[in-house]
Amino acid sequence: MDLRIRGLTRDYESDGKRIRALDHVDLTIAANEIFTLLGPSGCGKTTLLRCIVGLETPDAGEISIGEDIVFSSEKGISLPPEKRGLGMVFQSYAIWPHMNVFENVAYPLRARNVPRNDIQSRVERALRFVQLEGFESRPATRLSGGQQQRVALARALVAEPRVILFDEPLSNLDAKLREETRKQLHRFLTELEITAVYVTHDRVEALALSDRIAVMKQGRIVEVGDPKKIYFDTDDPFVADFIGRANLIPATVRHSAQPHAMVDTAIGPIQVRNSHHIPVGGQAMLCARPEFIRVGPPTSDNRPNVFRGNVIHRIFVGEAYEADIRIGETLLTTTIDPEVAIVAGDDVTIAFDADHCFLIPT
Amino acid sequence: MNRKPLLTTSLLVIVGFLTVCPVVMLAIGSFSSGFGRFDRFTWIKYVEAYSDPEFLAVLWNTLVFTCGSAIVTTVLALFLAYMNTRTNIPFKFLFGVVTILPMMIPHVLFTASWAMLLNPNNGMLNRLLMEIFGLKSSPFNIYTIPGMILVESLLDLPIAYLVIVPAMSAFDVSLEESSRVCGASTMGTLFRITLPVLRPAILSSVILVMVRALASFAVPSVIGMPGRIYVYASHIYRIIATGFAPDYGKAAAVGMSAMAASMLLIYVYRYLTAESERFVTVSGRGFKPTLIDLKGWRYPAFAVVGFLSFILIVLPVLVLFYNSMLPYIMAPSTKALSMMSWKNWTTVLHDPISLLSLKNSLFLGFVGASLGVVLSVLVAYVIVKVRTKAAGVLESLSFLSFSFPGIVIGVGFMWFFVRTPLYATLSALLIGYIATYLPYGVRPLSSAFVQIHSHLEESSRVCGASPFYTLRRIVLPLLIPGIVSGWILMATMFVRELTLSVVLARPGTEVLAVQILRFAEDGLWGRLSALGIVMIFISSTLVVIASLVGRKLNQMHAV
Repeated sequence: MDLRIRGLTRDYESDGKRIRALDHVDLTIAANEIFTLLGPSGCGKTTLLRCIVGLETPDAGEISIGEDIVFSSEKGISLPPEKRGLGMVFQSYAIWPHMNVFENVAYPLRARNVPRNDIQSRVERALRFVQLEGFESRPATRLSGGQQQRVALARALVAEPRVILFDEPLSNLDAKLREETRKQLHRFLTELEITAVYVTHDRVEALALSDRIAVMKQGRIVEVGDPKKIYFDTDDPFVADFIGRANLIPATVRHSAQPHAMVDTAIGPIQVRNSHHIPVGGQAMLCARPEFIRVGPPTSDNRPNVFRGNVIHRIFVGEAYEADIRIGETLLTTTIDPEVAIVAGDDVTIAFDADHCFLIPT
Repeated sequence: MNRKPLLTTSLLVIVGFLTVCPVVMLAIGSFSSGFGRFDRFTWIKYVEAYSDPEFLAVLWNTLVFTCGSAIVTTVLALFLAYMNTRTNIPFKFLFGVVTILPMMIPHVLFTASWAMLLNPNNGMLNRLLMEIFGLKSSPFNIYTIPGMILVESLLDLPIAYLVIVPAMSAFDVSLEESSRVCGASTMGTLFRITLPVLRPAILSSVILVMVRALASFAVPSVIGMPGRIYVYASHIYRIIATGFAPDYGKAAAVGMSAMAASMLLIYVYRYLTAESERFVTVSGRGFKPTLIDLKGWRYPAFAVVGFLSFILIVLPVLVLFYNSMLPYIMAPSTKALSMMSWKNWTTVLHDPISLLSLKNSLFLGFVGASLGVVLSVLVAYVIVKVRTKAAGVLESLSFLSFSFPGIVIGVGFMWFFVRTPLYATLSALLIGYIATYLPYGVRPLSSAFVQIHSHLEESSRVCGASPFYTLRRIVLPLLIPGIVSGWILMATMFVRELTLSVVLARPGTEVLAVQILRFAEDGLWGRLSALGIVMIFISSTLVVIASLVGRKLNQMHAV
């Protein structure tokens, strides 16, 4: 079911100061879409999720799920969480320690007075879906972190909610398990055909799981788009920096043509994409991600987008080297393939990939 | 976040009444000329109280008694804690026994058993030594200040031990090791490194024992008064309970300074415990301190610990049981064996006042603990879950009574109840008990609430459960272990309560501990012992249940 949010505002009182956690947030999430709220801690993403689910009451605005308005400050509507028909997976999983796996998963059905026979079969189906058959009578606290997380997912799904919400569900798992669980979750969500709202501060999680991502900052939504748009063609320097490592270089458009424009920067003229159609003479920010800057031994190549620089610092991070390279006064972060024999102090040639460098309006 | 202003306000009113009312009434009472009359302001009670020629002696006795007990207790506790955490002494399970079991024996009975052993007229141990060594007079007299300090120190040993052990086991051994490397000897290291680093914990223990000795009534009444040694608590008791005209105004005036001293000590104690958290030398490094090998001293050291546990636990119960069978105190002999009978038991179990006190104490234990726990649940909920400024005030209020000496608070309540129809009823005792022992209920319930993460409730709401359904299926089941242990803790406290009851109990509202005290005053040691065994049986049953429930609780929240 789709989810519409209009002008949602929420203030906090903290040490006598008013802090605006949500600042007129407008958002439409389509039915069966996997939608991620991404942002640094304190940006308001969890507050937004808790307002949707009904655990917090916004100061102003309107939230509707499908045809139903669940909150409206104007109309004086505020449904309690149990009347909203949602499912949620908490960061701590919130598995009840005094119940076994079956009772935990059956709880939403019992709370809604579902007939006994139905409960048995629906719990079994939910547990089969999350691959926890045979765990019914285990005490829930005796499960591993990943298993607890799947119990929480089964519990959120069992009552067939209109929307399922996730509050940083992977942040309590260790790095290796997190990667596995992320893949599993991706499979579950794509199979399910359900509207999902997912909150995270992890950019990889957001890129891997989402149909669309909303990047938030200080209670506002900065940009909404699909993962590729957010990564390759963002409208906002903050998003460019937050979603992945980025070299941001101030630039002035000298010459604009399709597909590439020519910009002037501190290191010289560079050919880049100009999908935002910034006019000639316009100021912009050039975004070049490290993986699209090629580094090689020094040559006397004079093609466009090729420059000479000096390696200041190099560290080995496993799959590659990360190197800081200086061109004039500008410092660039780059990745170098492990087999390339370049050490700190070397002169190098670097080449920008014109198709993957883009301009962001400032 | 739900602020629940109505609940917080009503709890503030109730807890505020329970803890502030006796203090205010005590203050008003100390400035009033006649009991129950607040019409005229007067300084006369202060003049009378503090110009009393006996007062200086009382002050001196109190000082020696509290400081002496604090030092002896802390030294013993340090020894026990060091032996347990730092050496390879055998049979370490004894340390758990020493710290838990004495809590089953009510203070007044423990004290009485020492009076039976070491009183100068017919103390069992005195008689025994006189027979063996052919002495003309008793070698020991318990009715002295050293005797009082001895018994009070043994009574407070478990609590001092529990204060010192965590600091001792969190001690970073590398501090000592580097001292040794720098050339200091074992003893030099102990006095120049170990003890100074443990200073905050040691001082906390000293102060906590001082507060308890100041509030103690069992030792000053059963041991102090026969020897005509009066301290604050027994001095106040003397003013209100002996002689033909009890003077509650003068008692209040004396009580004011005891209360002030006690509150000051608790303030210092809180400051020190905050300080000792700062002093903790070890982070979560998961190291195991190297144990000192006592070598040849292992068994002598164990003998000391074993002797301590014997006189703390086994001896008092043995003495009580033995004397409950005898018409008067006598040393063990064939004559004594031949005179043994169940007469004291039958007398006590047919004595209407003893039976009434048993009934009253059981009533107060059950009803008082039930009401106390309901109040504690609500207070703990507001303290842990609401967490507004008002909740902070409520927390301070509900722990205020920790610093009140029982007999002083009793005088304060007396000033209140005398103007109400509650005077000389069981309800008066009930209110006084709950007010004084509220922290014992709030503490276990606060930790139970801390364990219920707010996500557990929120998740239930999102699952479609109403607030009431959430309360019934999630919150209450998780809270029940805390409720049970809070209830049993309060019930044991109430069944044995002495210091408050001695002021508030009137004819018809006698309770067990007061009845024991009367038997001690009249020298009816046999009946005292029989009733005492009944009392120990009741409180041990409750403590055993409490520890079983506690274990269950830990199992449930493990993992």
